[in-house]
Amino acid sequence: MALIEASHGSKVSQDNHQVRTAWSMTAPALALMFLILLVPIVVAGVLSFSNYSLGNTGFDWVGSQNYERLFSRSTYEKMFIATFTYVVTVVPISVGLGLGAALLVHSLGRVGDIYKTIYFLPVMATLLAMAIAWEFMLHPTIGMVNRTLEIACGTWLETIPFFLQGCEGSFPLWLGDRDYAIWVVCFIGIWQGFGFNMVLFLAGLTSVHRELYNAAEMDGARSGWEQFRLVTWPALGPTTVFVVTISCIRAFQVFDTIEAFWPQGGGPSKSAYVMMFAIFEKGIQQNLIGVGSAITMLFLLFVMFLTLIQRWLIERKVHYG
Amino acid sequence: MTKNWWKHLILIVGTIVVLAPFYMMVSYSFKSPGEIDRGEGGFFGRQEMMVDPRCVALRQPNRADIEAARTRFTGQADTEIQAALLAEAEADCSMRPVVFNYSKAFTEAPLILYLLNGVIVTVSIFLIQTLVALPAAYALAKLKFWGREAVFGLVLFCLLIPVHAIALPLYIVLAKFGLTNTYAALIVPWTISVFGIFLMRQFFMTVPDDLIDAARMDGMTEFAIVWRVMLPTAVPALLAFAIFSIVAHWNDYFWPRIVVTGNRELFTPPLGLREFKGDGDGSFFGPMMATATIIVTPLIVAFLLAQRRFIEGITLSGMK
Repeated sequence: MALIEASHGSKVSQDNHQVRTAWSMTAPALALMFLILLVPIVVAGVLSFSNYSLGNTGFDWVGSQNYERLFSRSTYEKMFIATFTYVVTVVPISVGLGLGAALLVHSLGRVGDIYKTIYFLPVMATLLAMAIAWEFMLHPTIGMVNRTLEIACGTWLETIPFFLQGCEGSFPLWLGDRDYAIWVVCFIGIWQGFGFNMVLFLAGLTSVHRELYNAAEMDGARSGWEQFRLVTWPALGPTTVFVVTISCIRAFQVFDTIEAFWPQGGGPSKSAYVMMFAIFEKGIQQNLIGVGSAITMLFLLFVMFLTLIQRWLIERKVHYG
Repeated sequence: MTKNWWKHLILIVGTIVVLAPFYMMVSYSFKSPGEIDRGEGGFFGRQEMMVDPRCVALRQPNRADIEAARTRFTGQADTEIQAALLAEAEADCSMRPVVFNYSKAFTEAPLILYLLNGVIVTVSIFLIQTLVALPAAYALAKLKFWGREAVFGLVLFCLLIPVHAIALPLYIVLAKFGLTNTYAALIVPWTISVFGIFLMRQFFMTVPDDLIDAARMDGMTEFAIVWRVMLPTAVPALLAFAIFSIVAHWNDYFWPRIVVTGNRELFTPPLGLREFKGDGDGSFFGPMMATATIIVTPLIVAFLLAQRRFIEGITLSGMK
């Protein structure tokens, strides 16, 4: 009896000991999570209702004035337009191209690996360096893009209005042109991101069972398209949800290219004034921390909303089949 | 092959677009300013000797130089001596464009220092992340304690927060503590990787309990178990996480741009390149592209050598 009690006692003390160890192991991580991730959100939330700026001793509460400003000033209207244009363009195209490239590469077997390697290079490369390289490519006079376009002058291609205009006058200024700027930034976003999506889709494709295709063929799905529609696409459901979400979050965070091309002002007539750049310009360069915090809060709201939708979709098992 | 020609055709067109800026970056880093302006010389340029005008300008002979050189050119007029000295300067200042571009990349700005900063920052971030995440992940996966579910729930919530998005409040807090323009500012916001905790926890869940019980029998403390038993089993997962972390922070431009203002001693490679662009005139395209090439190369080479590991590491987030 005494023996059992003794062993029971030591079990309790061992458990206590384990609990203490467990907490001391998680304590640093917990402290850092609070200090680095949660406290700043609260700080931003509080400051977004003030006119605080660094260096000033006091500040006033301004109510929802900062938020009202975001929804009334034309600058911020441009900000929302630029951000959503970017997201709505880059996400579908980079996901589509990623899927297309994955299907082609997958169908080629081992030979396709070389394309996989090449398409993944932009993901690895420092985006800022590549943005500067693109800037030279797009240089109006000495850039490779316009030089290549000039080759078409004098050929049948001149019947296309774009080339006719370019050959008679000049080809677009690209980054200096309000009508092209945001689209060029979108293009670079797609260029950089689709290889990442391709690799995720490839991982999804290798997990589709061969028997499913045989079964579909038995059921009369002979053409490649039918097989894609009935087998591949449903099997890729969870991958697609994930790829779309992560592309959205990355697209919302676009900054490097914009800052590299237009250190001041976010593009010709603010046509590429995206949210991250606005936070940087208002909050840090101009020390308007109230407005910057308000943009930060909206930004967090968008991103968290997207991720929650993704988790909800995945938990509902979007396996269509 | 013949059946698949159209697939190759599409993929090759894609390849050209993907590789074009890389081609141009490396090619410009080889060429002389003239060749870049006129768009000639193929990929490598003609590599004709070129004279560095800045170098010559610095060695423009003045009165004292001419007096000093009089012993070498006895009996010649001053103008002749000056011309001879200039010719010498030009001879000393002429070099192949590729040498010019790459030497300028290192001499115009302290590129070595920037690269070193990049290494210090990325390695410190990874080490601290591991130091914080591994014990936490182990506790969440293998220890039973009251509040475990709550802690894990918090980890899942924090996964929603992109650190870049909260850059402004982080910056304010760091500025309040006077920490901007320090290594700490570059490193601190990244010391906690909730993703790392999550990832390692998922991995530790698959480690059999028997292994841990055996270690306890041997009298190992829980902390010793983390570092001497769990860490060795987790090497593949940790390696993937290392690649994920290092690639992200070597390439990061946004955060260093915010917390490092003006203090060149702390510049990371992307900031160094940005500075180069800021004060570059037309003739500096070559050296700038050389800098860009130098910054991009380490990761690309590592990637080509260990492709599978890199793709695993970078797409880690796909395991969420």
